[in-house]
Parts: sequence; structure tokens; C-alpha cells
Amino acid sequence: MKLFLIQLRSELRKLFARRRTYIGYGAFLILELVILWVFHLDKPREEMGKILSDAGLEVDHYYSALTVTYWMLGFSMAMLGAIYLALVSGDIVAKESEDGNLRMVLARPISRLRVLTIKYVAVLIYTLTFVWFVGVSGYLMSSIALGWDGGLFVWNYELRVFSFFPEVTTGAGRLCLAMLLLSLSMCTLSSIGFAFSCLRIKPAAATILALSVLFVDSVLQMLPFMAPYKEHLLTHRMSNWVYVLENHVSWAKLAESYTALIGLDLTLFVLGWMAFRVRDFKT
Amino acid sequence: MTREADPEVILEASHLSKSFGGKPALRDLSFTVRRGEIFGLLGHNGAGKSTALGIFLGMVEPDGGEARIGGASVQRRRARALRQAGAIFESPAFYDYLSGMDNLRVLMSYSGGFDEEAALRVVEEVNLGDRIHSRVSTYSHGMRQRLALAQALLPEPRLLLLDEPTDGLDPEGIKWFRDFILRLREERGMTVLFNSHLLSEVEQMCDRVAIVRQGRKVYDGRLEGIADEEMTLEIEADPVEQARACYGRLGGRELGEEGKVSFPEGTDPAVVARELVEAGVNLRRLTPLRRSLEDVYLEVTGTPEGKEESS
Repeated sequence: MKLFLIQLRSELRKLFARRRTYIGYGAFLILELVILWVFHLDKPREEMGKILSDAGLEVDHYYSALTVTYWMLGFSMAMLGAIYLALVSGDIVAKESEDGNLRMVLARPISRLRVLTIKYVAVLIYTLTFVWFVGVSGYLMSSIALGWDGGLFVWNYELRVFSFFPEVTTGAGRLCLAMLLLSLSMCTLSSIGFAFSCLRIKPAAATILALSVLFVDSVLQMLPFMAPYKEHLLTHRMSNWVYVLENHVSWAKLAESYTALIGLDLTLFVLGWMAFRVRDFKT
Repeated sequence: MTREADPEVILEASHLSKSFGGKPALRDLSFTVRRGEIFGLLGHNGAGKSTALGIFLGMVEPDGGEARIGGASVQRRRARALRQAGAIFESPAFYDYLSGMDNLRVLMSYSGGFDEEAALRVVEEVNLGDRIHSRVSTYSHGMRQRLALAQALLPEPRLLLLDEPTDGLDPEGIKWFRDFILRLREERGMTVLFNSHLLSEVEQMCDRVAIVRQGRKVYDGRLEGIADEEMTLEIEADPVEQARACYGRLGGRELGEEGKVSFPEGTDPAVVARELVEAGVNLRRLTPLRRSLEDVYLEVTGTPEGKEESS
């Protein structure tokens, strides 16, 4: 176990030593600033104010750092998070294979399964820290702009979620839970990227394939005749993190979705390993 | 599985065969490398040398046969086998954005752990002490090759597998590398498998060679004496027909090139000259030639132009 942790630390060192990693973090900070600026514009303020007042909620209390953070999480993960995580997970094996680093690793007394396990765990850790970075930095920026106080207001038309938490502590707690589940959702995207990365393909191809899966799935979700089958679609399951923000959480529904996603993650890992274990590495 | 094996044999290739997309890259390749030996695996580009090396390192799965390092099967007991080996590739790929030391740290974590003191010692040995904390992206090809040597030596292997290690190095770098490998054998009794198409390098370093052509071994033997197994003479004589009859009587055979005649080992050139003169041949010139490794190589691979279809 100690050796595994040393190897994992090495893998994370490689991952976090890349300049690109930090460019990605920087890109997200800029995106959050843009979202924050949009929320400051009169029109969005008016729109949200109307929804809140129609619901009989106090606009000033719910137009808060927590509410903006919730929107930031949803927007930024859907817009940029998917691309960025697919890029990192698609790179994790394929890039090293392309650059020849894997030959240096595989020349050592370590099994392929272990090499892949270390890489997969590193990708999962990266995904979790990434979502949390976006959430925490989003909250900090929103707090500077709007003040740390205020309730949390959640509205998701697609999932029929409309809830509010007047207490800042309750709202923050729920948002933390939501971030945890959103990280798990994004792990599925990373798992898809990882599985493609294990094939004998270019890193860019692995990224594009992972994003294509996500894109096709979300298009299917939008088609009216697919409504009865929505439960089987990946992007629907991945968006279920919002359910933890309902006033009365349906834990069974969440457990079902996340069991399915975790099962899919493990299946993707096994598929990736099966492809990787029979590959020949040669110049 | 470890089988009862000759403890003097460090590497054993046993009936290895491998095809890529139906095209054979290795065909029934067998040889052994003994303790303390520097063994050269020679062949044209695409002859199957790198495939063989890939099989020894468990990176390429053979279609048939088995490779053993220190008696442990690479295919069945990979970790145990590779614990005894270190490898260097033609173009070692490091993590360019990390320092040399961080690269060693990362790579050694896959070999059971990193010992900074040992790393500094090896780094000094390969003359990389002053640049080991710089990013690898700033390294020259020679420095990368020395870092490759350091990462291969750090786990203290019994066997060093070198895949075209001097390719791209300047003459000074090649000499340094050669001297270093020879010193490793002398001081530590290191066994080395040297994979190359540079005949001069092999000639200067190896005790024994196997020559591979189109995936098949065409020669396996000691290097000393390889060039002298036959005596080659360059003869200018006429009439040619009469001279040919004399060569035949002495067991000689004409080589492709004009005037070159090969005789069995131990043939005295004076005896050839006497035979020709006594037969009434007008002998103008008779020069004994030493066959170089290159001659032998070209002879057994049968491609004097050095061309080979890739496999």
C-alpha cells in the first residue's frame, strides 16, 4: 500500500507539474469572472428577481454568493469542464504512449494493471479536486462581489427542482454535497476519456471520442421521443447531482443514479485495461 | 515460473516468434547471454532487434516462445524477471517538464522506491551532477542518454538491455558511452545485451554476437575469430581458368568481388602462392585480407547495399 501511494504521488506530480494544468485552472477563473459579471447585468438580475418574487422569496436574500456559485458550477462544468476533463483523461495514457514515456515505465518491474490503476486513481483525484476548485473559487469570488451571507436558491427546469435554503450554513452544506456528487458525475466523463486513452489512438482522438459520447448522449436526451428512456442516458444520470439540492432529498433516486454511474466507471476501467493489457509497445 | 536453469545464463531467448499484422517480425529466435558477457544483437533496421528487446522487457507479447531473465519467465513472471534488468532505448522519452532528478524519482517509484543518496551517486557516475536539477527539456541528446543510463542503473540490475544507445551521439559521446559500458562490465561484472546496427560499435564492445535477418537468426557466435574463420586472399593471376583450378584444389572459393578468394581457416598464403606458381600461373599479386565484422555481417545478411525490407 505504501508503495502504491508513492507511485500515486509520482503520477500526481507528473499531472500537476504540467503548465497546461494551471492554464486550465486559469481559464476557469476567467470563466467564473465572466459568469459573475453576467449576473451583475441588469437583465439577468431582473429575470432572477422576477422568479424569486413570483415564488414569494426575498430577492436580496437569495441573490447571493451561494446561488451564484450553484449557477457557476452548472454552467462552467457543462461549458468548459467537460472539455477540460476529457482532455486530461484522454491524455493520461495515450499521451505517454505517443511520447514514449510508457516504454520507460513498462521497462520496470510493475504490472500493466498497476500502472493503469495508478493513472486511473490520479485522474479521479484530479477530477474531484478540479470540481472543488471551481466550486470553492466560485464561492470566494461571489462572496467578494456579493458578500458571503444570503440563502441558496436552486432552480432547474429540466429536472423539476425548485428549492431554497434561507440559512447560509444549510445552503453551504447542501452545496458541498452537490459538489461531491457533481465530482462523481464528472468522474464518469473522465472514465470515458480514460478508457479511450487506453486504446492505440492519439490523445486528441481519445478526447474527441469522449466528448462525442457525451454530445450524442445529450442530443438524445433532448429528443422528445427519448423521454421514456431518459433514465438510461448518461448525461441525465450525470445531472442528477442537482437532486441533492431539493428541499426533501430523494436518497433512493440518488443512490440508484450514482450506483449506475460508479458501475459504469468500473466497467470502463476494466474495458480500458483489457485493451491495454494486450497492446504491444514498440517504437 | 522459475525453472531449473544454468545460473551462468542471464538472458535466454527461446524460440521467439512474433508477427505484426500477419507480417513476421521474429521467427524462431533463440540465443543465450551469459553472465558478464557483452552480447551484440545485430541486424538491419527492421530486422527484428527492437521486437526482440520489446519481448525481453515484456512490452511485446510473443506469438510463440519465451524469454527468461535470470531464469524467470518475462511472460509469466514479469516483475520478477524485470527486477534484474535495466533498459535504455534509442530515444529515451523523459518527462521534459520535470527535472532530471524528478524523472528519476518518478521512474524509480515503479521499481520499488527512490533512494536519493543512491541517485546522486549514480548521477555523478554518469557525469550529470551539475545539471540533474534542470528541466530535461533543456538537455542535449547526450545528456538524455546519460540520464537514461542513470535510470537503468539505479535499480542495480544484473542485465543491461541497450537498444541502439549510441544513435545520434557525437563521436565524443559515443566513446564515453562505450568506455562506460566496458567499465561497468569490468568493475561490476554487468551483463549487457547491445542492440545495434552500428558494426564498429559492436566490434569494439561485444564478446559475442547474434545476427538477425528478417526476424531469423543467421549467425550466433563469439566475435573474436569471427572475422578469421576463413582466410581471404586478394589475388591477381592469369590465366584465370588455371588459377581457378588451383583454388579448387585448395578448397578455396571465389567471392563475388573480383580477385577475392576465400580459403579454409589455417590456409597458409605461401602454400597458395606455391600452388599457383607450380601450376604455371602468372602470379602478379597476392594479398592476405582480414575479413572485418562488416564483411561477415554483409555476407550472412546477404544484402551488401545494406537494404532490407522492413518487418
